[in-house]
Amino acid sequence: MTALLYIFAFLIFPGLLFSGSMGLLVGWIDRKVTARLQWRVGPPWYQNFLDLIKLALYKETLIPSGVSGAMFLGMPVLALTSATLVSTILFLINGSPRTGFIGDVIVVVYLLLIPAVALILGGFASANSLASLGSSREMKLMLSYELPFILALIVVIMKCGCAIRLGDIIMYQRSHGDIFMNPSGGISFFVMLICIQAKLGFVPFDMPEAETEIMAGAYIEYSGKALAIFKLARAVLLFVIPVFLITLYFGGIKLSLDGLVKAMIEYLLILILMIVVKNTNPRVRIDQAMKFFWGVVTVLALLSLALAYLGR
Amino acid sequence: MISNPILLLIIGPIVSGIICLPLPDRLKGITKSIAGIISAACLAGGIFIFIEKPLVWKYMDQIIFRADNLSSFIGMAMTLFTFLITIFSFGSTDKAFGRYFGYMLITLGASLGALFANNLIIMLIFWGFLALMLYLFINLDQTVCSAKASSKALIIIGGTDVLMLFGIALVSAITGTLSMDKIQIPIAGIMTYVAYFSIASASFAKAGAMPFHSWFPDVAETTSGSFLAYLPTSLDKLLGIYLLARVSLDLFKMTKISNTILLIAGAATIIFAVVLALAQRNYKKLLAYTSISQVGYMIIGIASGTVIGIAGGLFHMLNHVIYKACLFLTSTAVEKKAGTSDLDRLGGLAGAMPITFAACLIASLSICGIPPFNGFVSKWMIYQGIIESADQGGKLWVIWLSAAMFGGALTIACFMKLLHAVFLGRRSEGMSEVKEVGPLMYMPMLILAAICVIFGVFAFKIPIPILILPSIGNSLTYIGTWGSTLAALLILVGIAIGALMYWLFRPGSFRVVDNFVGGADPESLPRVSGMEFYDTITDIKPINRICKQAQSGWLDIYYLSARAIKVLARPLKRLHNGVLPTYLVWCFLGMIAMLLFLSLR
Repeated sequence: MTALLYIFAFLIFPGLLFSGSMGLLVGWIDRKVTARLQWRVGPPWYQNFLDLIKLALYKETLIPSGVSGAMFLGMPVLALTSATLVSTILFLINGSPRTGFIGDVIVVVYLLLIPAVALILGGFASANSLASLGSSREMKLMLSYELPFILALIVVIMKCGCAIRLGDIIMYQRSHGDIFMNPSGGISFFVMLICIQAKLGFVPFDMPEAETEIMAGAYIEYSGKALAIFKLARAVLLFVIPVFLITLYFGGIKLSLDGLVKAMIEYLLILILMIVVKNTNPRVRIDQAMKFFWGVVTVLALLSLALAYLGR
Repeated sequence: MISNPILLLIIGPIVSGIICLPLPDRLKGITKSIAGIISAACLAGGIFIFIEKPLVWKYMDQIIFRADNLSSFIGMAMTLFTFLITIFSFGSTDKAFGRYFGYMLITLGASLGALFANNLIIMLIFWGFLALMLYLFINLDQTVCSAKASSKALIIIGGTDVLMLFGIALVSAITGTLSMDKIQIPIAGIMTYVAYFSIASASFAKAGAMPFHSWFPDVAETTSGSFLAYLPTSLDKLLGIYLLARVSLDLFKMTKISNTILLIAGAATIIFAVVLALAQRNYKKLLAYTSISQVGYMIIGIASGTVIGIAGGLFHMLNHVIYKACLFLTSTAVEKKAGTSDLDRLGGLAGAMPITFAACLIASLSICGIPPFNGFVSKWMIYQGIIESADQGGKLWVIWLSAAMFGGALTIACFMKLLHAVFLGRRSEGMSEVKEVGPLMYMPMLILAAICVIFGVFAFKIPIPILILPSIGNSLTYIGTWGSTLAALLILVGIAIGALMYWLFRPGSFRVVDNFVGGADPESLPRVSGMEFYDTITDIKPINRICKQAQSGWLDIYYLSARAIKVLARPLKRLHNGVLPTYLVWCFLGMIAMLLFLSLR
């Protein structure tokens, strides 16, 4: 019976249906803000839904010849599944922080790796040189942001008295104040924000796709339903990753009116900050990104770690 | 006497191995039958000992062999891997059957001897014997490269064996006994440190941890994958980590300093080895380097000093052997069918070898620590061990945790490159005739891959309570949450929904087309082998230097000690100039010195 409830949570709310729809709506905010920044009108709110339906229902799914079809078509599903799982975990734990559900913060970090791994393998499975290049860039990008990402995460774990259960992290912040409010937490939040920008493949870190250069990279051979599933996975990630940040740095989402309003404002701020960064920066090369992440961003992360050691 | 199951399990395979040795290739049927029957019997024996533990064999009132919770579970794992790899070798071996299977059985017996030995000298004898078996195994092909690799392995492992002998002598001097069950030395004072690290160095060399790792990649390049799956990966790794666990948990009482030294070695092993793995161009060599890197996790787990860390370290040892053996077996399958293990020349074999690919994919995802596979659970436990050590006053846990977690990301990079170079990407030229291997070869791979899944999904129901917890004799409290079964169920539901989406919405709308590269001829673009993927990383300055230094032998203790000996021997070399009067002068001077010494004493 509980298993059925969990399956319901995973498929309907707060899982696939809910976070997928929310992701598409958030994607619309992204498109709209981008359009306004570029002095355009932008699409209507339901545009992303139409795009997805068109891809899934009306477009052919092409498979490159001589590849492993199961691998090629399976990777988008894997990406979507893990993104949905993260969303389910985060929302259920935010709903009742005292009960542990499926995973702690380390599990979530590893589950968040899967969409990137799935994209890389999907690109490799396309047997296309451009896709291989795109995937290899995605891999290198992942290596770049993973180091400061881990360091920033350790700051949170350290601040919460070595707790790794998400519920414990939320409860700690409710009794001791948000981690973001500490100097170390603040710096670590901005480090995390930059890493998230890359995790979502937003400009200036969109070199794995680089439409003008390697024609969408890993996505080049994807079409129809397979592409639709990949797009949905990205939408879920776009929706869920800011929630992850709110959980780590702002004490999660409290189920009360002011709690929800606070979370909503934080969410929109994180989102709009990411969109503005996306629209005001040019794409960097992969080696520049690596040097940036392993240089400046890692130094910042180490600084916040040092502050955390000093108890600040 | 002979009815003692432990003794039988040690002597049985050694005797049958010696019988196999002289059998010529035309009697390969007999050789294979002996190997198959004996390895199956050993597996049964291993399971029997695991169920019936604790067992001992005494001689003159001394416990010589002892099977307790820890050794019996490792013994069972050893017999299982021997059985699976023997079956695999039926399909993969094509010459020197007598010696190959003979060595395999003798190695099993010797490994079990070292594992169950309760007397330190008996353990040392079997341990030394294993170094000889490794040497003989590597020389099976008798090429120039294998001769070089085997002597390097023998010198490094033999050298650390001597260190172990020294350590055992010290232990005996300190405690007055050689029985492991009676030894409990708190590490305090220089002698105990020397004794501990002398014995630990032997376990490092066997398991292939830095700084005694360099024999493994050299051996990997020159020998067959099935041998690599067997000796360096399964038996040696299990034995090495077993010894480390035994000395660190039972024989010695660790201190913060000794744990910190181990942690440094572990963290350095994880990072350096995996960075070197990124640059490899050979299937087996890449696997060897990642194997070294994974040993770092086990060391960190054991050295964390927390119950969950130690449990995680032991579980990671078991998991590592499972997926790495599987990976080495896939390398053998690919090498047998494609004729090369050079990553530049392989490519696009997923369609031609789907079963091998599936096994390799599962094992790769396991080693990368992707949930819900087994590698994730043990890494997750080790991370918790590190974090928990902070509560016990550990200050440097941040370094160990970030090294371990970042090492995980680098491992993913290595295996993405491997999967691309061998199975994915465009099919390379000359690979159009490649076919899948037969069931004798793919069944062991599939069984190992299945164990990866089962040990991951049912980690808290099967391996941890049955195998790991009894060996550490303590109950576990997790500081984190991982509902592996529920997560696996939801992932399965997700995949089923995905499949349904493909099938439901307008079935038949799939079309197979040629690659699209912007309208140009896809063949006109050069094939991407994947070898250049990480040039961006290895071009970055400090990493660049590490790679260059590593290539010139900077991280290789064999090369370093050879150079040190050369430098030290230079003045002595000059004295040997072959001129008789010089030698006479030295003799004369020596006599004067001796006379002076004796008269002035």
